[in-house]
Amino acid sequence: MKGQGDLRLVGAAALLCTLLALLIPIDGVALVFAIPLLLFLPGYAITAAAFAKRPLPAPQFLLLSLSLSLATLALGGLVLNYLGGIHPLSWALLLLLVIFAACRVAAVRRRTSGKRLRLPRPRLSGLQAAMLLGTVAAAVLALVLASRSVPADDALGYTQLWILPQPGSADSEAQVGVRSQQQTSVDYDLRVRIGDDLVLRRSFRLGPGETRLVKLRTPLGTEGTVPVVATLLRHNRPFQVYRRVKGSLTAPRGSG
Amino acid sequence: MARPKPTTGYLAPIALAAGIGLLVCSLANTLSREGMDPSLLYWAGILLIALPIFWRLTSRDASRGERLALVCLLGISLYLVKVVRDAPLFTFSDELVHAFNADQIANHHHLFRYNPILPVTPNYPGLEGATSAVIGLTGLSSYGAGIVVVGAARLSLMIALFLLFSRVGGSARTAGLAAAIYAGNFNFFFWGAQFSYESIALPLFVVLLMAVAERDASPREWAREWAVPIVLGIAAIVVTHHLTSYAVAVFLALLALVYWGLRRDWSWPNPWRYAILAAVLATGWLVLVANSTFGYLGPVIGEAFEAIFNTASGEAPPRGLFQGKGSSIPSTPLPARAVALLAVALLAAGVFFGLRRFWQRYRREPFPLIFAAASIAFFGTLFLRLAPAAWETGNRLSEYLFVGLAFIAALSGLQDWRPSRWPWLGRAALTAALGVVLVGGAIAGWPWDLQLSSPIRASANGGTISSGPLALAEWARHNIPKGERFGASTADARMLMTPGERVALAGKTPDIQDLLEETSLSDWELPLLRREGIRYVVTDRREISSDATRGYSFSIRGEEPELMPRSSVTKFADLPGAKRIYSSGDISVYDLGPGQ
Repeated sequence: MKGQGDLRLVGAAALLCTLLALLIPIDGVALVFAIPLLLFLPGYAITAAAFAKRPLPAPQFLLLSLSLSLATLALGGLVLNYLGGIHPLSWALLLLLVIFAACRVAAVRRRTSGKRLRLPRPRLSGLQAAMLLGTVAAAVLALVLASRSVPADDALGYTQLWILPQPGSADSEAQVGVRSQQQTSVDYDLRVRIGDDLVLRRSFRLGPGETRLVKLRTPLGTEGTVPVVATLLRHNRPFQVYRRVKGSLTAPRGSG
Repeated sequence: MARPKPTTGYLAPIALAAGIGLLVCSLANTLSREGMDPSLLYWAGILLIALPIFWRLTSRDASRGERLALVCLLGISLYLVKVVRDAPLFTFSDELVHAFNADQIANHHHLFRYNPILPVTPNYPGLEGATSAVIGLTGLSSYGAGIVVVGAARLSLMIALFLLFSRVGGSARTAGLAAAIYAGNFNFFFWGAQFSYESIALPLFVVLLMAVAERDASPREWAREWAVPIVLGIAAIVVTHHLTSYAVAVFLALLALVYWGLRRDWSWPNPWRYAILAAVLATGWLVLVANSTFGYLGPVIGEAFEAIFNTASGEAPPRGLFQGKGSSIPSTPLPARAVALLAVALLAAGVFFGLRRFWQRYRREPFPLIFAAASIAFFGTLFLRLAPAAWETGNRLSEYLFVGLAFIAALSGLQDWRPSRWPWLGRAALTAALGVVLVGGAIAGWPWDLQLSSPIRASANGGTISSGPLALAEWARHNIPKGERFGASTADARMLMTPGERVALAGKTPDIQDLLEETSLSDWELPLLRREGIRYVVTDRREISSDATRGYSFSIRGEEPELMPRSSVTKFADLPGAKRIYSSGDISVYDLGPGQ
């Protein structure tokens, strides 16, 4: 049928984008296919259905395609919430349903008129195309630059120390962690006292962003719960407690 | 030089300038994170983006399509200026709250999940629902998905503004200039670009205005076709943002009344049916789904009225302009204040001359009439900035009223002033004025010390280090089970929610703030912690940790933060069974043990 080419294209694009967005496991690539499916095609189909009998100027058509897609997403979550839940597959099915249903309505309503969107096709010289490519390159570079961590020499570094029970050990094991958020490598002394005994002493050096984990177990012969104190010192200030955290260990049942 | 083909005009070189301007802004933010003060470079980047666009928009010979493309370029470029400020993390207080909601929907597959900091937000799930779709179909994080959704909304906003003004004013040149003026509204740069429900609701609001204006201009037999976008737009706004849904109802009601006032007729094209629909949907949603909105908005509006009364009666001193809440917050430099005030003065002059043109040409037309009223009301909201608890209400109102102001100011006609010796002078003056309005609006709308980014992550000797609140959030995400709840200061709690993905309570309701700030324990504190199911209490000695806009970054050498008394932290060690399980200096975490 004449005048329905755009609707067929929208339907095919919706199907293709859905499949590729769902199947491609790489985020950035999936985004390329998901964006038309999420932010253009539903609105296009709804606009085509609503304005099937008269041509809508391209800017209005494009605006409604974008904004009605957003409206569909805003309302679609509500629909899915009461129809089994919000999952990638349910979103894909809902969007396909909206697109195909609206395309069908548009096709039926258009039969007598055959009106369709006519997009302007701007002509670009080689120089203009190069400048637009340069714009995209500059924007991408700006985003990459923004995403990169840069040195912040005046930022005050510090160190994290923690103690947590080991999951699944019923508190009979614990883990002490040290993570350096310092600007330079730092030498540390970690001392762990279980009950009244100093059971562990480790010296190590951590670079910025590095972590050291130490596992603790309830010493043999322990009964009940005993306190654990982990103390961190820095080599350049050996007599000054830098960090201290407290936990506990519980003897496993049947031990001792 | 050969003149470019008329189809795209000067779009390509202007776009290139905008791209380079964006790169300059990104570089300025990078230098700021490194500890320098590249403010001049930053503003130069902004002007490099904006001035070529403004200059071209003032010309007579740009095509309608080129003007529309320029307006979109302006909106998207300035949006990306916000994106490059923070990438790849959300750092605005509301963003962290909404990103938490989006993550909750993506992880639990249902709407209306609990939000401990802004409980009203899950009741308006339009933005987060849309974001969850992007998360689900792309695998992006809530940050990546959020900037895509808000970017699409920003693009919608710019196209809608242009088409609305073009329809109402009948001139593409006026429309382009009005959209450019709108970019000077106080919230355009940052507040309106953040990942927050209003950032999608306001664009839908303008799309709705455009649709109603187009419907008005259509032959009656075609007008029904606009019902679909109008009804969908109203419904989407109602489920997305409370204030915008009320603004829609008020605007449509006002428009219906103006139609009646001008034509003494309720029949087509009077939009009273849509006004009723908007009012019914907004009220229905408020009563049936989101009744917590009463408790959220009620005190804000009540305090605003009280502050206005107190300030007007002299019982309370007026709020100082350009002043933050604390003494440690740097004040806005004098030249920046001057630019912001000059921007307001230029807007006032634009409105003054624009109103004359309005009176000559548009005073019998409904949309321009409401726009004229809005442009005058905007200056009324400026006085709200003098009342301490009312400035935020005024600030929020301004971005809606600015739609009308932008149109009226664009009618001023400065671009047509062509002295015989310097025929370009009117265009140059308008371009400069638009530059001042843009920069002044950005300065007035966002604290000076927050225009550029602060270090939250940094590279050091080949590794990457994180600020205290971010490192806490990363630690909690990897080490604390999902169901456990934290009590923390405002900034730490937000980071714990995003990117920490943990439930964290903060602020006054429940009263976590006093609990953290008091230097000794009172008998109400442990019961409160138990009642709220809080197992982990996060103490942060940095006073700035109670600042939702500034509390996320590294402390800087030479600008060490003011600290709360040590006893405000150590008091928790006195609680029975409490253990300090985490320490990073200023920040500690106390484990109170599993609840009884």
